[in-house]
Amino acid sequence: MTAYIIRRLFAVIPVMAVVALFVFFLLRFAPGDPAAIIAGDDATSEAIAAVRAKLGLDRPVVEQFAVWVWGLAHGDLGVSIFSNLAVTRLIAQRLEPTLALTLSTLFVAVALAIPLGVLAAWKARKLVDRLAMGFAVLGFAMPVFVLAYVLIYFFAVRWQLLPVQGYVPIAEGLWPFAQSLILPSVALGVTYMALIARITRASMLEVLQQDYIRTANAKGLATDRVLLLHALKNAAVPIVTVIGIGIALLISGVVITETVFNIPGLGRLTVDAVLKRDYPIVQGLILVFAAVKVVVNLLIDISYAFLDPRIRY
Amino acid sequence: MSGNPGAILEVRDLATQFDTLDGVVRAVDGVSFDLERGETLGIVGESGCGKSVTALSILRLIPPETGRIAAGSIRFEGEELTTLSEEAMKRLRGHRISMIFQEPMTSLNPVLTVGTQIAENVVRHMGVSKKAARERAREMLDLVRIADSKRRLDEYPHQLSGGMRQRVMIAMALSCDPQVLIADEPTTALDVTIQAQILDLMLDLKEKTGTAIVLITHDLGVVAETSRRVVVMYAGRKVEEAPVEALFDNPLHPYTRGLMRAIPRLDVDAEEGGRRPRLQEIPGMVPLLTRPIVGCAFAARCSLATERCRAEPPPVVDAGGGHTVACWEVTP
Amino acid sequence: MVAIADDLPLPPRRFSLASAIRRNPTIAFGGILLFLLIAVAVIGPSFVGDPLKIAPVNRLRPPSERWWFGTDQFGRDLFTRSIYGSRVSLIVGLSVAAFSSVLGLALGLACGYFRAFDAIVMRVMDGLMAIPSILLAIALITLTRPGLGIVIVAIVIPEVPRIVRVVRAVVLSIRAQPYIESAIAGGTRNAKLLWRHVLPNTLAPLIVQATYVCASAMLIEAGLSFLGAGVPPEVPSWGNIIAQGRTFFQIAPWSILIPGGFLALTVLAVNLLGDGLRDRLDPRLARRL
Repeated sequence: MTAYIIRRLFAVIPVMAVVALFVFFLLRFAPGDPAAIIAGDDATSEAIAAVRAKLGLDRPVVEQFAVWVWGLAHGDLGVSIFSNLAVTRLIAQRLEPTLALTLSTLFVAVALAIPLGVLAAWKARKLVDRLAMGFAVLGFAMPVFVLAYVLIYFFAVRWQLLPVQGYVPIAEGLWPFAQSLILPSVALGVTYMALIARITRASMLEVLQQDYIRTANAKGLATDRVLLLHALKNAAVPIVTVIGIGIALLISGVVITETVFNIPGLGRLTVDAVLKRDYPIVQGLILVFAAVKVVVNLLIDISYAFLDPRIRY
Repeated sequence: MSGNPGAILEVRDLATQFDTLDGVVRAVDGVSFDLERGETLGIVGESGCGKSVTALSILRLIPPETGRIAAGSIRFEGEELTTLSEEAMKRLRGHRISMIFQEPMTSLNPVLTVGTQIAENVVRHMGVSKKAARERAREMLDLVRIADSKRRLDEYPHQLSGGMRQRVMIAMALSCDPQVLIADEPTTALDVTIQAQILDLMLDLKEKTGTAIVLITHDLGVVAETSRRVVVMYAGRKVEEAPVEALFDNPLHPYTRGLMRAIPRLDVDAEEGGRRPRLQEIPGMVPLLTRPIVGCAFAARCSLATERCRAEPPPVVDAGGGHTVACWEVTP
Repeated sequence: MVAIADDLPLPPRRFSLASAIRRNPTIAFGGILLFLLIAVAVIGPSFVGDPLKIAPVNRLRPPSERWWFGTDQFGRDLFTRSIYGSRVSLIVGLSVAAFSSVLGLALGLACGYFRAFDAIVMRVMDGLMAIPSILLAIALITLTRPGLGIVIVAIVIPEVPRIVRVVRAVVLSIRAQPYIESAIAGGTRNAKLLWRHVLPNTLAPLIVQATYVCASAMLIEAGLSFLGAGVPPEVPSWGNIIAQGRTFFQIAPWSILIPGGFLALTVLAVNLLGDGLRDRLDPRLARRL
């Protein structure tokens, strides 16, 4: 087991290396002159040269690469072109809202989607199932920002139950904090929920046809024990896998959700950086988000061993 | 329906049907038999003859989305099971009637330990603590002669051999002292040597516990070794029923005779001076069960069949001594 | 039950579009919906006015008989703009699906055949898949001048790994089949093997996957435009219409809800088509999701 975890940890390295190489070479080999594009259409040639110098693009590629990797190895993601602040510091400042939003969405979506999928599989082809899957199909087609505005329109503008926009840090009170997160979490979570509910249903349907479920029923076990222990534990691997795959969905969604709800998190930082073409920030954020995804997938790989005793490493 | 006072389980005119894309399949079509206390009843027939469906019908484990018990009665200790509430059925399953299945490889839950799977049955039906149930599980493993039972409790099914898994299934099925054990092809998936061990174990435990057994198999050899009485099924119907000796000495139904000829026999082999007699297969195919069969279900494959066989269902002929056969061409 | 199930013939795994449509209402529903939307995108613009025409007198008018979908803050007719917007979405969706299928098929086949190539390409694909697609597209767009072409490229890159994985899995599973192994042992040329046995088998999963890529591309494009990192703001794409409606959302919610509804409907149609095709063409995959 420990050996397996160590091996999986080492497997993370090439993936992150590819990500790092990708963002590095994207800037260096982009068509046209990235420095000119970053500096903007009205920039003077001095301004362009300044940007080029700041990005280190005026030095040989090998040297740029060495400097960059050296920095990365020391946890240095570079410096913003416009604010001159360290990218790591900018990220640290914006971390709380994004963590609050994604974690609340993750927990609520998983906590709702799995029971929904189990219920749909249990009552397959009945009304509950059709409603649940109808919801899942619609939820999967609904763009995050469209749903967000629908929610804002009803819950904030018309019924005035919740704030339209903004984020209240947890330090300023639990209830205002929670209130500010409800609509963003729902908007962000519906697609994710739809995905998990669908895979839960499909995986459960497959498991419910297995011989050991017939055995469990032949023992006269209570329905909840058959469904939630005998079936769900066997159905867990694909579900957990999709929860991991969905993290990418959640991260992409965060960028949009934070823009709609004006939440000052990493998503907003990304968008602001893109609009200002502040490439070092974009590059740093990509590395951070990719690392999050890779770590989540690592945790999920490890969780397989706990879910299925047949998996041995 | 007066009932047989010695019978613990009485099945009357059972009909179980499934909906398929090709129409309604009459998997079991009017089967009746009694199981007496403490006896072993064999049900034999080719795969697809409805014997497994009969077993699942008794426990009402037919998947409700596709199948149903369409007609007939199943009485357990005088209580009608076909109309019993699902909750009451659940209290009965695994407690007073238990079942073991053909595939020991897939019938145990792969992600739960053997101990959990036996103990949960005990907790459910005996209302004892988890600790006591675990102790009972260990006892049951000893009873089915699994060595080192304490360690085995915490193992998962994939760590056990096929024979051991079937022992676990038996331990599980007998953990609440059921009156009836339905064993659906319990040895088919196992090696020949293991088969014999498992059958011995079942018979031995039957002697100890007094559990009546319904043993479902396609193997007449297994029936000969284990059962007191035999029901022969064909295409969802009972074609013959007899005490085991009577059936082997004097098979009456042409289908039963066909089955007998399909058994390889070592003694005959020797008598014929080393020339191995050819196994005789029954020519023809099992009829489709999607259409009602008008006459005798076996008529299409039967060398003795007449017009009458194809037109009218055969009468049940009593050959005496509990030997009955459904055939036009048999005169007792 | 078990005994009966054994006797039933397995459903054929051959590709047959006609029977697929006949048997599966989801395909028909999604297909018809998509067909209507394509029809609107192709012929619609010739029946409506200029999507860019500004009329400040008529700004922020709610939906009415004159302006079916209302107007935006510049008095532009949102019905006209929404019709034009369908073009952008469909062009992006279809071209991303087409390009990533071709690229993914080529890479996937190569990966399934050449081990060394496979090792390298799959590492790159793993890396690309670690980057959330919107971010990957954003990074590309940050460094180039805005335009429809670059948006398509920016979405194709993160979508390619999904196709490569599907194709590669099919190739590897087919190569392990005994009949292919014997064909290889019998000296059948790679090219012939590819053409006769492998390509036809990749077709069904490829079509299904391409459908999902199409839906996902439309969502990403709208998302990028919404963030201001997509097609140039003067192009009337649904994402741009929504982005421009943000400021006045509380007074003029229709400027977001109507194009948003169109986008959701289009994605729904494509997803339904994908689900239906998957159920028909690839029952093994269907059970997974």
